Amino acid sequence: MRTKLVALGAVAVTMTAILSGCGNDSGSDTGTSGGGGTIASHLIMGGPPEFKTRTDGIPGLKKVYGVEFGKYTVTDVGGPVTVNALKRGQVDAADLFTTDPTIKANGFVVLQDDKHLFAAQNVVPIIAKDKNTPAVTSIINGVQAKLTTEAISGMLDQVYNDKADPADVAAKWLSDEGLDTTGTSAKGVSLTVGSANFPENVVLGEIYAQALSAQGADITTKLNIGSREKYFPALEQGSLDLFPEYNGTLLSYLDQSATATTTDEVDAALAKALPSNLEALEPAEAQDSDAIVVAKETADKYHLTTIGDLANSAG
Amino acid sequence: MIGDVFGWLTDSAHWSSTPFDVGIVDQLLNHLRYCAIAVVIALVIALPIGLVIGHTGRAAWLVSGVNAVRALPTVGVLVLLVVIIAPHFYGRTDAGYLIPTEIVLVLLAIPPIMSNTYAGVQNVDPAARDAAFGMGMTERQVLTRVELPMALPLVFSGLRSATLQVIATATIASYVTLGGLGRFIYDGLAQQDYPQMISGGLLVAVLALVTDLVLALVQRLVVSRGVSGRFRSGGRGGRRISDLADSRTAVLEEQRAADAA
Repeated sequence: MRTKLVALGAVAVTMTAILSGCGNDSGSDTGTSGGGGTIASHLIMGGPPEFKTRTDGIPGLKKVYGVEFGKYTVTDVGGPVTVNALKRGQVDAADLFTTDPTIKANGFVVLQDDKHLFAAQNVVPIIAKDKNTPAVTSIINGVQAKLTTEAISGMLDQVYNDKADPADVAAKWLSDEGLDTTGTSAKGVSLTVGSANFPENVVLGEIYAQALSAQGADITTKLNIGSREKYFPALEQGSLDLFPEYNGTLLSYLDQSATATTTDEVDAALAKALPSNLEALEPAEAQDSDAIVVAKETADKYHLTTIGDLANSAG
Repeated sequence: MIGDVFGWLTDSAHWSSTPFDVGIVDQLLNHLRYCAIAVVIALVIALPIGLVIGHTGRAAWLVSGVNAVRALPTVGVLVLLVVIIAPHFYGRTDAGYLIPTEIVLVLLAIPPIMSNTYAGVQNVDPAARDAAFGMGMTERQVLTRVELPMALPLVFSGLRSATLQVIATATIASYVTLGGLGRFIYDGLAQQDYPQMISGGLLVAVLALVTDLVLALVQRLVVSRGVSGRFRSGGRGGRRISDLADSRTAVLEEQRAADAA
């Protein structure tokens, strides 16, 4: 009996040891031995799961830039796991969003997308036509004119690192930019402003809501709703009136065959794809698009400035 | 949808690995690896403690306390541990994510093993224990030669329960960059590739069932016949003893069969 148990125990431990040896986690290992091949083939990339199959993801990198990474590790959607893995060297390149404050905080280098692999993602307010008035348009477009990627990144920094309330962050930005002047130009307007369930969108929703209330509008906010599948039907049916959107992803949600990539192309296509009761106001300069990001050491070591540089020979 | 799932599972491209997509075979091995490590560690921790508590009857509060650990939200604890532990690991290593995952899986596996071992030892026939002491066995001899073998059915039941839970829960490893069968579930959901997602779930269920079968076989082999009551009658015209026969009846029947031979 005892020998049986001992034998069993030995088998179990041996099996565990063998299993620990074989099997690999994310595809074959990259060849770190010896040079040759492209720079990218020596690097590991981290990002969201859908990046593997998205047209502007791994397939797009290969098609547009000829970049093929050695290995892809699924981390998360531009969140703390990705940032940590990039910082600690578990991945060499990552897919983050351009407004992410961790890029600046960690000295990451954003590789330029000069061939427009990633479609433009300008912040664009979508509003119900019958609720729009000239005053509302002028207030919102005034906000849009001052909205830059750095501004959003700075606001997100306060939300994530200083744990500030999105409403307070929005109020501070509006007053810094002089957009919170009180008045009555929007008096009599009654709108419901919505937002998706990530902090950047909540801050944008607050900005629109506060700018309009300062001018006398009667605003209800429904923030933190959820993903586009959840909130866009509400916008179409009229239970939401104003929403901070992104022209690129909205276009591919409305028209899956869309191929527009630059801001002008996307705006033109979006105007045609929107339902007839909705319209887009002025898009901002601020973009929250995907970016291939590397650590500063990697960029210096391989002299990387654009995504295309990754396809250079490593020899 | 069922046709799509079947199609996904029978596509040979999904079974082998590419640099970007790990195939089913490799993910199965990864999944087994995470589970095996967790169960072995849990056994090493929980089995001796359960045996000692069952034998001495003291510190029974520890078993109740450990049972409370079953209520832990595994994903929450996993994320918390990753945030604490992962930043300490540099370079191309999985350790920063593997260690928190294993900690969570071990925490999940310990309660079934420990409470079942405790119950098994406590429920050993007191007559047998008395007889053992009467024969002059020391405490440790009673524990290892009498109580442990008699408690084995319940210990195995705890082991199988723990293994099942660990296999089903090891899918959370994919939440923090590791592989395993959960990768198909998580990626399938994110890519809206529902055949992939359902296939992942199916594979986990099949793996759990197969592992349980294997452990049942092991249990058959290891548990003494005197305890489980399984006897084969020897001799010609062998009469099959009912599985419910107790050990004394079985010995008598065997003797009778041997005499008749």
